[in-house]
Amino acid sequence: MSFFNQLREKASQLSLFDKAEADRKPTRDELFRDEFKLPECETIVDESNAELLIVAVKSDGTSARDQSHDEGPVVYPGKLYLTQHFLVFKDSIDKRSCSLTLNLSTVKKVERIPSKAFIFALSILTSSGTKVLIQFIGIRSKSEEFSQKLKSQLKHNIPNTKKLEPFLRTLYSEFIIRKNEPGVDKSSVKAPEGGLGLLFKFPGDPKKLKDKSKLRLWYDYFRCNGRNLTLSKQKMFQKLIRVGLPNRLRGEMWELTSGAMYLRFQELGTYQRILDSHRDQRSVAIEEIEKDLYRSLPEYSAYQSEDGINRLRRVLTAYSWKNPDLGYCQAMNIVAAALLIFQTEEQAFWTLSILCEKYVPGYYSTTMYGTLLDQKVFEALVEKTMPILWTHISKNDIQLSVVSLPWFLSLFLSSMPLVFAFRIIDIFFLHGPKTLFQVALAILRINGEELLEIDDDGMFISVIKEYFSQLDDSAHPNSPDPKFRQLTKFQELLIVAFKEFSVVTDDMISKERNKHKPAIMKNIENFMKRTQLRNLPRTHHLTQDHLSNIYDRFYESIQSKKMSLGTGKSSMDFETMRQFLSGFCDWILPDDEFKYHDGDFLHRLFRAWDKSGQNELSLTDVVVGLDKLVNRNLMESISNFFGIYDPEGTGEIDREGILQVSEGLLYITKPLQDGKILDQITTNSIESYVADKVLELQTSPDDIVLPSEVNIDKEKFQREQGERYLSAASNFIQRAFEYAQPVEEPMLIDLPSSKDTEKLKANLALDPTHPLTLNVPTFRMVILADESYELLFSKTLADTIHVDRSITVTNKNGVLRDMFDGLIADGRRVASHVRRRMDSTATTSATSVTSGSSRSRTAVVSADEDDDDFDPHADDGDLMDNVELSALGDVPIGGLSDKEAQRGEDLKVLHEQSNYTKDTDQLIEFEH
Amino acid sequence: MSRPITAVKLVLLGEAAVGKSSLVLRFVSNDFQENKEPTIGAAFLTQRCVIGDQTIKFEIWDTAGQERFASLAPMYYRNAQCALVVYDVTKPASFIKARHWVKELHEQASPNIIIALVGNKCDLVEGEGNEQNRKVAKEEGEQLAQEENLVFFETSAKSGLNVKEVFIALGSKIPSNVQLNIQNDSATSANACNC
Repeated sequence: MSFFNQLREKASQLSLFDKAEADRKPTRDELFRDEFKLPECETIVDESNAELLIVAVKSDGTSARDQSHDEGPVVYPGKLYLTQHFLVFKDSIDKRSCSLTLNLSTVKKVERIPSKAFIFALSILTSSGTKVLIQFIGIRSKSEEFSQKLKSQLKHNIPNTKKLEPFLRTLYSEFIIRKNEPGVDKSSVKAPEGGLGLLFKFPGDPKKLKDKSKLRLWYDYFRCNGRNLTLSKQKMFQKLIRVGLPNRLRGEMWELTSGAMYLRFQELGTYQRILDSHRDQRSVAIEEIEKDLYRSLPEYSAYQSEDGINRLRRVLTAYSWKNPDLGYCQAMNIVAAALLIFQTEEQAFWTLSILCEKYVPGYYSTTMYGTLLDQKVFEALVEKTMPILWTHISKNDIQLSVVSLPWFLSLFLSSMPLVFAFRIIDIFFLHGPKTLFQVALAILRINGEELLEIDDDGMFISVIKEYFSQLDDSAHPNSPDPKFRQLTKFQELLIVAFKEFSVVTDDMISKERNKHKPAIMKNIENFMKRTQLRNLPRTHHLTQDHLSNIYDRFYESIQSKKMSLGTGKSSMDFETMRQFLSGFCDWILPDDEFKYHDGDFLHRLFRAWDKSGQNELSLTDVVVGLDKLVNRNLMESISNFFGIYDPEGTGEIDREGILQVSEGLLYITKPLQDGKILDQITTNSIESYVADKVLELQTSPDDIVLPSEVNIDKEKFQREQGERYLSAASNFIQRAFEYAQPVEEPMLIDLPSSKDTEKLKANLALDPTHPLTLNVPTFRMVILADESYELLFSKTLADTIHVDRSITVTNKNGVLRDMFDGLIADGRRVASHVRRRMDSTATTSATSVTSGSSRSRTAVVSADEDDDDFDPHADDGDLMDNVELSALGDVPIGGLSDKEAQRGEDLKVLHEQSNYTKDTDQLIEFEH
Repeated sequence: MSRPITAVKLVLLGEAAVGKSSLVLRFVSNDFQENKEPTIGAAFLTQRCVIGDQTIKFEIWDTAGQERFASLAPMYYRNAQCALVVYDVTKPASFIKARHWVKELHEQASPNIIIALVGNKCDLVEGEGNEQNRKVAKEEGEQLAQEENLVFFETSAKSGLNVKEVFIALGSKIPSNVQLNIQNDSATSANACNC
């Protein structure tokens, strides 16, 4: 019962998952998490309208005054949310005036504020010494319910509170608060670990950056409005970030505004655990990382030192293990190197995770679809906001992305001087990906006049390069107003980006992304297909069209719909291979039937194809294998089949091997035994039969008139074919053992030909105490001794593998049933049969075929079928090469329904079955 | 005296860290840096070069080498008249990748593109006892070049060996474009008249 429930649940998840590939609308919880940068496990437990007031409590208990606010604390109306680990508030004034993200672990005390009967208010004291006063708005019972839920979440969260103290000690914000508390011995407060900048100096001139005064402002802000896990973001917060973060605080603020801090707090120690559990392991990503370690911000002194290189190596490596689908992409080295100037390894690791997965999804994936998509979005935004420039760019065939792609991919770090790129990243982590677009648009806007003068990519690049080298210069050097003269080009850039291009919103970007995504994905898929097909080894029997079909089916089977996202698998296991082949191979049994066979042949095929020995098949493995399997060269095809049973390439197979080969032959000829498909021999006899019928109807000796229908006894032909194949199998066993050579015994030169000794030898051959082997030439001979098997290797087998069938032809399970109605005979061949008969009846006058066309067809309708609802013009390609009949009610032929019997039984069945054939007298008798 | 200037778009392709950017740096600035930042997307540089009575202005597109950047490459090699496909003579995988690039260019780039196959980092295999560092024989490179009709050089961006020669060999193989340019009498851009 529970098992079925699980299954059902899995199935429903699966379909949900599939839907996610289409443009699924994000859920409310997802949007909520995105907005507040909360970890995946958070959902809204309860919510309420409320008014919020945050006051700082001095160590003596009195309220501290926020010097940055002249008017003192403000009461904000808004909405309060409770999640598993957070209390979140967002103001309803303009959504930017006050937002609070309070981790429940920081809650020291919750009190109900005594008030009038209809007012419900709480006071929450936090670890950072701020007091959050909440007055609920709404029905009192609802408010009480909220408070009850808060209480219960707090209880659940108690185990986490232990982690808080050590965590806070890693934060610079806590350090400056503690250090500056009155009466504290400053030298006794230890600074937390931080980025490489603490050891190797931060890039830029600290005086010019005014880091000291900025830190003082932050100190005030933190004291009054909370910090890190108790932070409330008010307007001042955004302003302080826009003027540039002080270097020492930058690392912490990046992880806080990006939400990486919440992850780090939740996953304390995970970073080290990932590193430990993969110690000394190798991977492609690691090789790629190693290539780039010394090429990441090489001009910064830390990355000329082992300490710096090692930190970078560990962060990139750990991330490649955390996200193996992505691994490592060039540009991540530059971004991670920048993070590590300001952050500890663990901080950088989580910030990098959030960056790759939330901020710039798909930028660094193996297909870089996000990069390509956002370039398209950027172009669309340029067209929208600067139509004249866009017209000029397109007219001159300038590819915008050759300039802009590195901006997005390396967050301007590889384009601008570092100090300016850091400032953009400050804002980027606060406001999200739209920041990149706003800045990029502003760059073009500011340089617009010059860009209208240029007419090729090269000049475009030089204009921008020149501009980036002058960001520190005055934007208006000749202005009479000193204030204007002071304004640098970089400041101007920020103003244009965030004022003029404030119209570029997250919503606009996500709309544009959705619009261009299908085309981009299609392009990537085509590109990947082209590249992969081009790089396949040369095939001798598969055409480009076949390869294209195989490629489509291969990726459909491994369910890499996400291939263009760069996260799909690229190899298949055994079960997938079976599913894959069932799409176009007639002899793969449906799932339910498969269970009753040991699938030995397929397993062997899988092992023979698996060149890497990793128990999985790559596209190349599959293509090389199929190329062999559809080989119509008789001798080669027989040897290839032998090779499947001789993986070591010894050129011999033993007794056990012979039995397995015979089983394999039975397996791949199953649909022929069942009459589900017809081979050339049967087709020929059907055509003969049709010809006979035509001849009977023939009125004039001159013209062969092909009737539109001829009734045939389908079952009869199926039965005959089935018997033929079973007899072939039986003969194979007999002959194989007859001609196999005994091991350790010299070859018998004189073969006594009496029937008795033949029998004896055959029995000896089956005697396990006398080992024997079958080599390739003998195997070949045995195969060639049988017409059906000879044809099997030169034609029939290849015919059963429909590599020409494109993936759009659906054929799951219904492969054989779908195709049976219109058995269509090739009119020309029937006509020639007829003519031969007419010739043999000594008709001397010349004949012509009225149907004229070389491909005229006669539909053949089985006699036992009332339903003649077929389409003679159905597009069946070369059906005549591969006539397929219906299962016709699955009439079991002979003893074949006993196929589940073990091998000995099979042989017996075979043996009995063979008695129906004409070859009965040749049969050997054997007992167990 | 004024010589006609032919602008030639040239693209560098090849696996990561085989020395594409270093070859360009050597050619353009006659300089070498041990640890160059990987190219993100592509870098663009120009260099003028006098070949015979022609001045050729190479507009060089230096691309990122990592496998996943391959999907961006068409953006850079479109309209290119020349390509440098670079591999590292000490890295056999980079030679396989070079083979793929040649195939891709033949199929997807301008039909008359002139391609040079370049085995770089020769300095690592020169001198006493260093020959064992070589993993791609010169003959392999020559053979591929012959099969695919490529200009072939083994170079060292570090020592400068053959670097200029590659570009000159490419530059001297562009007769048709020169014609076009003279007719057009435009010194600015060969691209414009090509497309």
